[in-house]
Amino acid sequence: MQILKNKTNIDFIGKRKPAIFISTLINLAILVGIVTVGFNYGVDFAGGTVVEVKFNHPISAAEVRDRAQKGGLHDVSVQNIGSADENAFLLRMGGVTQLNEENATKAKTALESLGTIRNVYSDLSNGIINFRSATPLTTELIKTTVEASGTGVQEVRVLGESQGGSGVDYQVVASGMADKVNSALNMGVEKPDFEQRRVDYVGPQVGKQLRNRGVMALLYSMVAILIYVAFRFDFKFGPGALLAMLHDVIMVAGYYLVSRREFNLTAIAALLTIVGYSVNDTIVIYDRIREDMAKYKGKPLAEVINIAINDTLGRTILTSGTTALSLIGLLIFGVGEIFDFAMAMLVGILVGTYSSVYIASPLTIWLDERAAAREGRHGDGMKQEPKAA
Amino acid sequence: MDRGWWWKFGSIVAVTLGTLWFLIPSYYSLAVMDRAQRNDLAALQARLPAWAPPAKYRLNLGLDLQGGIHMVMRVDTKTALQKRTERRGQQIATYVADKKLGEVTVDTDPEKLQLTLTAKDPATMDAIEKDVLATFGDFKRVDRNGATLVLSPDDTQVNRFREESVDQAMLVIRRRIDKWGVAEVDVRKLGTDSIQISLPGRSNPEQAKELVGTTAQLEFRMVDDTNPQFFAQMFQSNPPPAGSDITVTEEGGFPQLQSKSREALLTYTQGKFPENRQVVTECIANPLKKNECESYRTFLLDKTVPLTGESLAGADASVNQMNEPEVNIAFDPAGAREFEKLTEASVGKRMAIVLDDNVHTAPNINEKIGGGRARVTMGRMGARSHDEWLGEAQTLALVLKAGALPAPVTVGEIRQVGASLGDELIKKGGLAVLVGLGLVLLFMALYYRKAGLIADIALVLNGLLILAGLAFFNATLTLPGIAGFVLTLGVAVDANVLINERIREELSHGKTAKAAVDQGYDRAFWTIFDAHVTALIAGFILFFTGTGPIRGFATTMIIGLLASLFTSIVVTRVIMTYFVHGRNAQSVSV
Repeated sequence: MQILKNKTNIDFIGKRKPAIFISTLINLAILVGIVTVGFNYGVDFAGGTVVEVKFNHPISAAEVRDRAQKGGLHDVSVQNIGSADENAFLLRMGGVTQLNEENATKAKTALESLGTIRNVYSDLSNGIINFRSATPLTTELIKTTVEASGTGVQEVRVLGESQGGSGVDYQVVASGMADKVNSALNMGVEKPDFEQRRVDYVGPQVGKQLRNRGVMALLYSMVAILIYVAFRFDFKFGPGALLAMLHDVIMVAGYYLVSRREFNLTAIAALLTIVGYSVNDTIVIYDRIREDMAKYKGKPLAEVINIAINDTLGRTILTSGTTALSLIGLLIFGVGEIFDFAMAMLVGILVGTYSSVYIASPLTIWLDERAAAREGRHGDGMKQEPKAA
Repeated sequence: MDRGWWWKFGSIVAVTLGTLWFLIPSYYSLAVMDRAQRNDLAALQARLPAWAPPAKYRLNLGLDLQGGIHMVMRVDTKTALQKRTERRGQQIATYVADKKLGEVTVDTDPEKLQLTLTAKDPATMDAIEKDVLATFGDFKRVDRNGATLVLSPDDTQVNRFREESVDQAMLVIRRRIDKWGVAEVDVRKLGTDSIQISLPGRSNPEQAKELVGTTAQLEFRMVDDTNPQFFAQMFQSNPPPAGSDITVTEEGGFPQLQSKSREALLTYTQGKFPENRQVVTECIANPLKKNECESYRTFLLDKTVPLTGESLAGADASVNQMNEPEVNIAFDPAGAREFEKLTEASVGKRMAIVLDDNVHTAPNINEKIGGGRARVTMGRMGARSHDEWLGEAQTLALVLKAGALPAPVTVGEIRQVGASLGDELIKKGGLAVLVGLGLVLLFMALYYRKAGLIADIALVLNGLLILAGLAFFNATLTLPGIAGFVLTLGVAVDANVLINERIREELSHGKTAKAAVDQGYDRAFWTIFDAHVTALIAGFILFFTGTGPIRGFATTMIIGLLASLFTSIVVTRVIMTYFVHGRNAQSVSV
């Protein structure tokens, strides 16, 4: 069996200009989209709470939302996951604690009724209220006071006496959202008809940290791979490989942007894997170009590259094909982020194949032509290494 | 077939058999044992045949697959630093008054972490500034303007304090986990201000929050040594039930009960001691794994708590003139009075330092201690090296500080997966692997016929090697790890596609089967190598920056890529060589 029966002789190099033009356009559009519209950040990066519940009877997402709202959860998004008969839902909430502006004001008023209370400071993102009381209070009293004002309290901490004896500092830690989900869904139901299967809670600071780390990881790996490619081939190959890599990463990011699927840690893992994989096809062609350059001495580089791309076209399609084939199981059985991962990889493999052929190699010619024009010389200006490849 | 081939063939057979052998504990753990016992290493060891590898080399399932809680705690070093700065400010004011340098008021700016000293008499400020800066070396001058002096903590001090706060919080969390007696808990530092905790098999995040809930309880309590033989006699007159591992151990003339289980000790001693006393345990750390309790020992303590951590002003570990590690403890004025009274009444007795119901140490009171400064000297008993004692001293100082100046800890991240969801994910993940892998195997066999089947053998071996590798490195298999597994096999088979395509190409150039196979492998080698290295670079960076399940993905990918260099190139070549060289085939089926 053979995928390409006859030797192809497609003029890839000739079509490089429209290809690069269109790709650049799409890439720019995606970048603009990321800046203006932005990703649909998951809790990993945005912070927040996700609770997965599974009901033991058929129920629609709208009904679940209804119940949550009646139970006092207002900003909640409900999404059906898995097949319809599984009755599993993801409930997503922006906040990570029960403390919001309204609750905090109420809690403040309630606390101020306890005596001489000063320096009440609510940290909404962390669900913390700090305050100073002129007279010592019991933690139980503080807890019941705040809870009566409508905010669940996980703990009250005594931070110790303040400087100069002007009072005692306390810290109230509000309960998490997951608790509230349970109580909200349970409201008005005789006995629980659902199971809380998964809770993801990420604090806002942690989210920011995770995002920064993810972006750094992407940059590091690109630089490291670029150094390796430059070291193994020639510096002339570097920019082509880098731009192809950037192209692929931006395209996959575009998948997350356009599909509005959740952009989370798994998405970063997908992008990083694409960075590693994208170069693979490029390397297959580069290796062949190097080999052919030694073989067809005297031929213009553009022609050599075209031959190399055509000769390796079959295996470029095959390697991408087998990798894509392995993802099919994940696409069928994967739920949530694993499905997204497989889908992103599929997009990455397709654009990776395209970019190796239409972007990485043609760019090499362009760079070579520019170098040649500057140095006023012609012919194959590339370094030739007699390495086996 | 030449000798080299036989060597290679022999080693491939050995690797295959070794891999299968190494997967025995994993097979037992996942398929033979009950679900509930999945994390019980002792039970697994008992079930394993004698010739199998040790139970600890079983494949761990990640928290997302077996259910459990992953938490990240953030230590609020900022608040701790503010409190500390405030405290130091007060100490400076007291110091200036004590030394009669003048009269100052100290104001704290909690946002900027600055102290502003204002002297009543501007003329005294020069002397005050000089003396204060010399004495309080952890502060530096920011600004001086006539009668006001602005100070801020030294950067290195701030960093040290931050680190210490995290260490303290970690210590408290570990002690609480020790109390639960959960073996499989993993606690580690994450970055500069976070602590990561993994609790497999647990499903109640509320219970997990106990770990950081209340601040640590530090207590100073008297050891009841009126009858030094108390525990030995209890053991003799009322032996523990059969099958119990409780033994009597003696160190420094005081027999203690020892057991691997804290629960067993508390149950056994219950009701066997006077009413106003309490049995409290000490955690004996595993010498190999510092963070694990190997066993517990008992102490008989007075029920009354004369002093708590609230009376502490500070603690520090150092080495004295005799080169003995020691811990210096400072009490606040009220604590100092109480401590003096206590030591006066108890000379010759032992005083236990208890953190969260764990006896940390029980030094002897040698004399009445006044002035609010106590010193615990280490290294006078037991045979341990100087370094070990110094380490002990540092831990004790940390314990004391954790009780005295706790840094607030908040929950940064909780990821909890119920056990039923985990089971479902394993099932779906398994199906996804079967379908993905099956399609690749089928395609290779159809497209490349014999050569494809050979690649399939290599691919299956690669899969087994990944699993064995994960088991060997005690890595965990996570849901993203399953995705990584499938994907890695998809990438691994690329190598064989490249090789086989090259062989076809060489054949079409009219080469003989032998030459085509040899050249196919030789020429494709560097391409495959480069492709693997770039993927590995991404894998390693993902490994070092990722956490939790994502790390599992990276581990799977790294092991798979390394294994693929062996299986896709060496293994398939040995088999191909057998057909074209050994059987002297004139044609090759690709």
